[in-house]
Amino acid sequence: MNEPIIVGISGGVDSSVTALRLKEEGFDVECVFMKNWEGESDQCDAEQDYKDALSVCNSIGVPLRSTNFSNEYWKNVFKNFIDEYSKGRTPNPDILCNKEVKFKAFLNYAKDIGGAKIATGHYARIKESGHSYQLLKGVDDDKDQSYFLYLLNQEMLSNSLFPIGGIEKQEVRKIAKKNGLLNHAKKDSTGICFIGEQKFFKEFLKKYIPKHPGTIKSVDGEICGEHEGLSYYTIGQRKGLGVGGGFGNNDDPWYVSEKDLSSNTLIISQGSNHPSLYHKNLSADSLHWISGYAPSKNDNLSAKIRYRQKDQTCTITSLSGESCNVQFMIPQFAVTPGQSIVFYDGEICLGGGIINNRS
Amino acid sequence: MLYFDHAATTPVHPNVAEKMDEVSRLDYGNPSSVYSSGRSSKSIIETARSQTAKMIDAEPSEIFFTGSGTESNNIVIWSVLHQKNKHVITSCIEHPAVLKVLEELTAFGLTYDILPVDSTGLINPSDLKSAIKKDTGLISIMYVNNEVGTIQKFDKLTEIAKEHSIPFHSDCVQSLGKIPISTKDLKIDYMSFSAHKFYGPKGIGFLFKRNGVPIKPLVIGGGQESNIRAGTENLSGIAGLGVAAELVSIELEERANHLRELETYFKSKIYDICPQAIFHGNTNFYAPGICSLAIPKCKNEVILAKLDRKGIEISNGSACSSGTVGLSLVLKEMGIEDEINKSTIRVSFGRENRIEDVSILVKSIGEILNE
Repeated sequence: MNEPIIVGISGGVDSSVTALRLKEEGFDVECVFMKNWEGESDQCDAEQDYKDALSVCNSIGVPLRSTNFSNEYWKNVFKNFIDEYSKGRTPNPDILCNKEVKFKAFLNYAKDIGGAKIATGHYARIKESGHSYQLLKGVDDDKDQSYFLYLLNQEMLSNSLFPIGGIEKQEVRKIAKKNGLLNHAKKDSTGICFIGEQKFFKEFLKKYIPKHPGTIKSVDGEICGEHEGLSYYTIGQRKGLGVGGGFGNNDDPWYVSEKDLSSNTLIISQGSNHPSLYHKNLSADSLHWISGYAPSKNDNLSAKIRYRQKDQTCTITSLSGESCNVQFMIPQFAVTPGQSIVFYDGEICLGGGIINNRS
Repeated sequence: MLYFDHAATTPVHPNVAEKMDEVSRLDYGNPSSVYSSGRSSKSIIETARSQTAKMIDAEPSEIFFTGSGTESNNIVIWSVLHQKNKHVITSCIEHPAVLKVLEELTAFGLTYDILPVDSTGLINPSDLKSAIKKDTGLISIMYVNNEVGTIQKFDKLTEIAKEHSIPFHSDCVQSLGKIPISTKDLKIDYMSFSAHKFYGPKGIGFLFKRNGVPIKPLVIGGGQESNIRAGTENLSGIAGLGVAAELVSIELEERANHLRELETYFKSKIYDICPQAIFHGNTNFYAPGICSLAIPKCKNEVILAKLDRKGIEISNGSACSSGTVGLSLVLKEMGIEDEINKSTIRVSFGRENRIEDVSILVKSIGEILNE
């Protein structure tokens, strides 16, 4: 018997079509449903997702197993998430989840049960050239998920397949429908997996990070109100500030432009074009390069500082070890400490780091 | 395909399937109707009740058909809410069909205490004695544990209950067809059973309630099952249960010997390929055919996946509906460390397993260990 490809299946349409395509290509396919979070709030969703996954596996004719990485998720992803928020930063747990859970714990599990490789429903591609592997953007520009995968290394890439990275989302849904998969029209998941809808975010954080009220000031030093704790706000945030309704010079909305941790002050500015919301330079650390090496030149270099942002032309002005300084050609909106900057050379995802500061 | 997970469920016995097929095709009458087809359906139920009663040495009037072992547990535990004494004593290795019910009913004023077990899964009777309160109104303790097969020392436990005049309930779903059960010998007031654990159909179970002890219905309606479980009866399920029960009465000794033979063979062969294997449970007080064993340094999910690929089905503890997996709580309560817990598999034999099948199972585990 051939060693099977182990597909991480979520119950969503992307991973389902991933399994389907591999099966059609003649691989031995087995699916694994991962439970990474033990919580009351998501219990029903997780059970429905499992049922969807089971239905898909039955119609494709592949076995489904399930496994539990909630310990790994808690230790290696969630603790960091809370830690970063406590420091007033805005982390991206989905990036860490890929590195620590999907392409580490799950990959190890897949190897343990005798799998040849793993496959996931990410919109990204892997290109093998000689003994090295490149991570390329997914062909669907709108869905490209390479941003979330920049912490993968050569070994992870050499053991992974992204079977839908070469097609568009619309096509994925079409394939699912044509093959009678019940989840062909299932809504895409949004937000952070363990919280669900964005509107619950602050309430969720409050369970883990105590309130620490302070003053909200405008960039001009005017007191505008009170905040419940800097951790609950993000740079560039517009909604939920409790400021607006004619406050200020005009009816333009207010944005978080800075968090002053030393004085526990939330600094806001009016209008999305306010200069305090834009920065041309940033420093990043915890750098990781997919090839193992930093790029040798700045030609054709671009970066994204958030998921789904258009590529922004930039230069790495200085680089030492795991830290670098970056200058953008045009000023960037809401450069947020804790978020990741991911570098590209055209369609090649080079790697990235975590934003530390901006100027 | 080879199936070694009979503690989860058993394949329906051919005689049972035949009877169910016949009843569902021919007997459409509502057992409550007074004309011929109704009377005929009613008599099918009463035959099954006699067959079921005979299996556990009870009176037919002490047998009530329900939808499952879980439902039987629920009826007994919910009944506590109607009593003055609302304190319940149970054990830490019960099925969720007891533990979760108790937890839920605290909202209605029920209180409960959970007895610990030793490293073999046994309750210390003196713990039961000291847990009894003035308002203890029920003791609910499982007979044969579903994960490790340990049999509680019911003579001592029920004696304590009798001394204090406290009703005693037992979740007995794992015991039928493995060990003899006589309600005349066991001083138990309520017992829960499920047909699919002894080659009967799924979705049918029964409650033994000793004549004279109180009970209140959960499902109320047309008065079926002597007002204890309303709803038009699951006729073919009950008929199937009756046949499965009759087969237990006839074949019990043969089945138990067969299980013992398979289990003894399995244990000796496992030690050949894996001398460091650890068998959980009690070596004196256990039901034949359930083997819970750890293969140190080998994760159970890996063994399960690789056996599944070879068409061999075993489990890693108790099955769960949502596909979630995790550490066995029963083993945790027995004080088994997490590393060993993660390496534990459960092999439970049945009447259709043969020595050759067990030999293939052991050989396959051996191959996996050598990979």
